[in-house]
Amino acid sequence: MTFEFAKDGGGRFHGIHPVLEAILRAAAADPWERCPEGSARLLPPPGDHGELIEDWEDHVRPELREGFSMARSVVEEDLGAMTQEKKGEWSLTIPSDHTDAWLTTLNAVRLALASEHDLTEADMAADEEKADFSTPKGMALLQVNLFGFMQECLIRSMED
Amino acid sequence: MPKPDLLESPETDLLHELDRPWQVVVHNDPVNLMSYVTMVFRRVFGWTAEKAEQHMMEVHVKGRSVVWSGGKEKAEHYVQQLHGFLLLATMEKVP
Repeated sequence: MTFEFAKDGGGRFHGIHPVLEAILRAAAADPWERCPEGSARLLPPPGDHGELIEDWEDHVRPELREGFSMARSVVEEDLGAMTQEKKGEWSLTIPSDHTDAWLTTLNAVRLALASEHDLTEADMAADEEKADFSTPKGMALLQVNLFGFMQECLIRSMED
Repeated sequence: MPKPDLLESPETDLLHELDRPWQVVVHNDPVNLMSYVTMVFRRVFGWTAEKAEQHMMEVHVKGRSVVWSGGKEKAEHYVQQLHGFLLLATMEKVP
């Protein structure tokens, strides 16, 4: 799986193996449904002042959640437009104006997965060859790393 | 009738408390990529890459970084923006 920068920002992931394609499509799953335990991390309180928290719950949280939902719709749209290349591999194009939605959605899924599976900094820095992808934690690590790679590519596409 | 000095102290404390500015703090989260945190700082605060990286490193090494201080309303605005990018941010009164 490689990334090709587009001249106007954004870019295209191509050579996506069918296994990674299936994992990638899961990025659009609602983290609140997919990882109910981990999703608490996505909308943390703004501090410990009671009045502040109350106001936040009533007004800000719904707005933030709506924003995440809209970003997820954009990701879903791009995933739906994925094309199959020769050799059964897939290609995914991310237009420059969809980059923010992708970054947010990938981050939300990574945070929810890490929280749900108690992934530590050491887990994420460990040699991937030693990871056991047959376990739920190993699979979560694979997803977190794959989505992290995609985030790095998209951030670089914005800088160039 | 209470002595003036006993009254003055709480009033002064209250005024001081009301005047105290707020600060926005970003906390470390091992999942967020360093490049992502830097990008968010640049977008939200309009910082240079160098300044954004300094604060990102402070978060990474010290566990937290004060990224802004000032009025409550603006602090809330910044925390909301940072939460929109899923950074772990809180606001507190400046000590």
